[in-house]
Amino acid sequence: MTLGPEIRAEMEQIKQRYPDPRSALLPMLHLVQSVQSEVTTEGMALCADVLSITPAEVAAVATFYTMYKRRPVGKHHIGVCTNTLCGLLGGDAVYAALSERLGVGHDESTPDGKFWLERIECQAACTHAPVMTVDWEFMDQQTPASAIDVIDQLARGEEVRSTRGPVIRNFTATERTLAFPDDGLAGEGPVADELMLAGLRVAQERGMSAPTAGQGN
Amino acid sequence: MTLAPETSDLINVEIDGVEMNVPKGTLIIRAAELIGTEVPRFCDHPLLAPVAACRMCLVEIEGNPKPQPACAIELTPGMKVRTQRSSEVAEKAQQGVMEFLLANHPLDCPVCDKGGECPLQNQAMSAGRAESRHDIPKRIFDKPVPINTEILLDRERCVSCARCTRFADQIAGDPKLELLERGAKQQVGVANDEPFDSYFSGNTIQICPVGALTSSSYRFRARPFDLVSTPTTCEHCASGCSLRTDARRGEVTRRLAWHDADVNEDWNCDKGRFAFTYLSQDRINSPMIRENGELRVASWPEALDVAARGLRSAQGSTAVLTGGRLTMEDAYAYAKFARVVLGTDDIDFRARRSSSEEAAFLRASIAGDCGPTYADLDKAPIVLLVAFEPEDESPIVLLRLRAASLRRGLRVVALSPIASRGLEKIAGEWAPIAPGADAGALHALAQGGGDVPNGASIAEALRQPGAVILVGERIADVSGGPSAVAALAAATGARIGWVPRRAGERGALEAGALSGLLPGGRPLDDVHARAQLAQVWGVDAADLPTSVGRDGASIVSAAAAGGLGALVVGGLEPRDAAQPAAMRRALDNAGFVVSLETRRTEVTDRADVVLPVAVVTEKSGTFVDWEGRRRPFARVFGDALMMSDGRVLAMLADVMDSSIGRGDVKSLRNELDSLGPWTGARAVAPSDSAAAEQTGGPLLVTWRLLLDDAALQEGEPNLAGTRRRTVAVVSAATAASLGVAAGQRVTVTGPAGSVSMPVEIGSIVDNAVWLPSNASDCAIASLGVAPGQPVRVSGGAA
Ligand code: SF4
Ligand code: SF4
Ligand code: FES
Ligand code: FES
Repeated sequence: MTLGPEIRAEMEQIKQRYPDPRSALLPMLHLVQSVQSEVTTEGMALCADVLSITPAEVAAVATFYTMYKRRPVGKHHIGVCTNTLCGLLGGDAVYAALSERLGVGHDESTPDGKFWLERIECQAACTHAPVMTVDWEFMDQQTPASAIDVIDQLARGEEVRSTRGPVIRNFTATERTLAFPDDGLAGEGPVADELMLAGLRVAQERGMSAPTAGQGN
Repeated sequence: MTLAPETSDLINVEIDGVEMNVPKGTLIIRAAELIGTEVPRFCDHPLLAPVAACRMCLVEIEGNPKPQPACAIELTPGMKVRTQRSSEVAEKAQQGVMEFLLANHPLDCPVCDKGGECPLQNQAMSAGRAESRHDIPKRIFDKPVPINTEILLDRERCVSCARCTRFADQIAGDPKLELLERGAKQQVGVANDEPFDSYFSGNTIQICPVGALTSSSYRFRARPFDLVSTPTTCEHCASGCSLRTDARRGEVTRRLAWHDADVNEDWNCDKGRFAFTYLSQDRINSPMIRENGELRVASWPEALDVAARGLRSAQGSTAVLTGGRLTMEDAYAYAKFARVVLGTDDIDFRARRSSSEEAAFLRASIAGDCGPTYADLDKAPIVLLVAFEPEDESPIVLLRLRAASLRRGLRVVALSPIASRGLEKIAGEWAPIAPGADAGALHALAQGGGDVPNGASIAEALRQPGAVILVGERIADVSGGPSAVAALAAATGARIGWVPRRAGERGALEAGALSGLLPGGRPLDDVHARAQLAQVWGVDAADLPTSVGRDGASIVSAAAAGGLGALVVGGLEPRDAAQPAAMRRALDNAGFVVSLETRRTEVTDRADVVLPVAVVTEKSGTFVDWEGRRRPFARVFGDALMMSDGRVLAMLADVMDSSIGRGDVKSLRNELDSLGPWTGARAVAPSDSAAAEQTGGPLLVTWRLLLDDAALQEGEPNLAGTRRRTVAVVSAATAASLGVAAGQRVTVTGPAGSVSMPVEIGSIVDNAVWLPSNASDCAIASLGVAPGQPVRVSGGAA
């Protein structure tokens, strides 16, 4: 799918949101992914043109952030956190199970284009470790079995909900939300639940606070 | 940029126990250098903004829990710093960083161009551990990948210091080379299908602290320790770059930019760096004389004898044409030879488009005058560009303007029919004028602005002290133009910097290789000036020509009409002339032609006597840059047998029973110096009136791109690979009226011929078309039309 004039128009619109136009590059790249399921050379050239920067400058950004892909992601993006906490609490096992089930490794997509698997870094959701993301929606506290279950349901085209509420759509739809976060969906689901706040409560009860700069070594 | 902060505020600090006062804002790494301590570094470069990317320069700062990068931290009052010299913590930190840097480094020094002059090699020895603890596999990339035709990238050698990428962005203004990917995959690269397109790209090879960026032409050709290095000056343009020429076994292997804070700082352009293969191509090694229509090799005595007889029999009807590429000393030899030996003032160094009005302007306003300098550009309140495109016509001027524009918002205004890419890079202001309308606009500015866009504010800025007008040699194409520049300077007090393209033009002007102008800016028609020359030259003043001779154009037309007895020609290309055909006719029809040349050219093909002369590597000499600053250079090949033009002319003079002295570089320079500056009255600036406005179809706008089909760039395909694509540029409205769309091919036709190329829509005034003057597929001279004149543009088919 090529990027038509309406995409350029939307990019111009995104550009208006920022005092310094080049700040618009991140959402613009998400917009490209929402159409093409990857950041194409065509997409980088278009961003460069709209922002009056060079394609190399766009490439530097597009290759730096791992959320930008240079091969089509396909229908669903599956992320499994394998950083320390999630990894120890079962994330590695979840990843291994999914990898085996899907027959793909890190940053690879299934031949039918349905799933892209990726080891992801800490999602700041350690309280619900191990976490998995589907099209960047959280699936908290997964096990190999629950994760495979999610995949199977998606494969069958059934409705799947994030453990935090929202209905899973697909990768390009999420990318569209990232380009235009004002679609009303961004705040769906709880911001912080009891588990996430438990540590804070304990600290408050006991009058604990973080050390200030200069203290300790 | 980060060198010496412009402040007189001194602060007291301590480095390795040594107390010192440094200007506020000084970086630790610079201050350490002041006491002779070199903190190891890769990413640090005095002319690039600090990034602390490589972490090699870690030092201990008292009160700071962790070692800090010396290249990025400014000293604060009372700060106590310990480098590796006095701190184990710093030393250990540096060793640790070095270990990390080497974790992925291939250590293929034996096959790496940088080996022997490599900061990584050197600092691994001085700041690394003696033994490696690594036994894990290193990352491997395909190698090498070209980032443009001149530069090859070996990614596994890169230490991610970001010097090359910062240079591209901060200095050259071509951010087309970037750090891509991240983490273990981080690598330097360009966007898909978009090479690192920059006139300055070669500098990245030189500043890369490892062998990650290497020169396609130089790769695997030499070891640094086998090279003999000579400080030289670039012969390609009037920017005047200091270079270092490295040679091995009688051949130049590479050229580098050499540090000169006043001129090129640490940079040069790709032409100066890579265009040197011509030096050894098509050389003429022995004198030749024409016999029965054919040139044959002759001995020096025989050739000089034939030349002398030919010139003597034409006495009273001789002229001298020198190209703009001679050294000051050689130009002086021609200037003296013409007046003393030939007894003529018919001499001109401008073997390009020129006018007699321009000659008058040069005599009155430029010769013998110390014009503005690079430093003056740094400080100027405004710089007005007239008939001058800095990036193509004097690249270091562009870099200086750009640096000042970034640093302090220097206002640069281009009075031009087109806004160039260079102007965009310096964030300059475009004051659009119709092609050839320069004179009218300049007069308007002199009178307060007139209808020049933003005229009033430009005119006002030009009246501030330090204002500079940079005028290019293309002003000669505008009748009334040179006069108007002089008038504007007189009206506003702004100083004029004349920026010719060729490296030898300013020196030739100072040496008096122009009719009506004796050496040192002396007007020929001034009796005192002639007397001074007569004394230094040891001749009778009465024997010197007294009236202003003919300029280049008149010499050429006289010769073409068969009215010239003999012509002495040094280093010019007929195809660069205003009218190449007329120049060829002049050479054909002149009674007798003596050519002093380094290689076979269209001139030698038509000469009666050819005398071989030295190229720049075979002689020493001086180029004078656009500022009027002397740029002496040394001989690269001390054992070269070729003689300079000056020496050959001296021998010829002797054979003609006359003399210009010994003709060697030293005596010519000393003699010129002994004249001293001219303190008498100067010639009066011309006051030609502005030409009437042109009518008719798109008017031609053109200049020579930095990289083009020039003779001095021959034999270097990698350099040629970075030339800009040939396009015609028109405005959207003009394109519409011509019925062409961007990308389509158009044919531009003049009275004598036509050229065709794709068209681009650009920032150019309506009813104008811009073309490169001398691209391989676009030789404007063949159109038979002067810049500013109407051409026919047709086409539209893809
Ligand atoms: S290529 Fe050289 S200059 Fe560029 S980042 Fe790598 S090491 Fe530094
Ligand atoms: S800017 Fe001019 S003087 Fe400097 S290297 Fe380039 S051509 Fe030579
Ligand atoms: S480690 Fe997995 S969310 Fe933090
Ligand atoms: S030289 Fe200081 S971090 Fe690179």
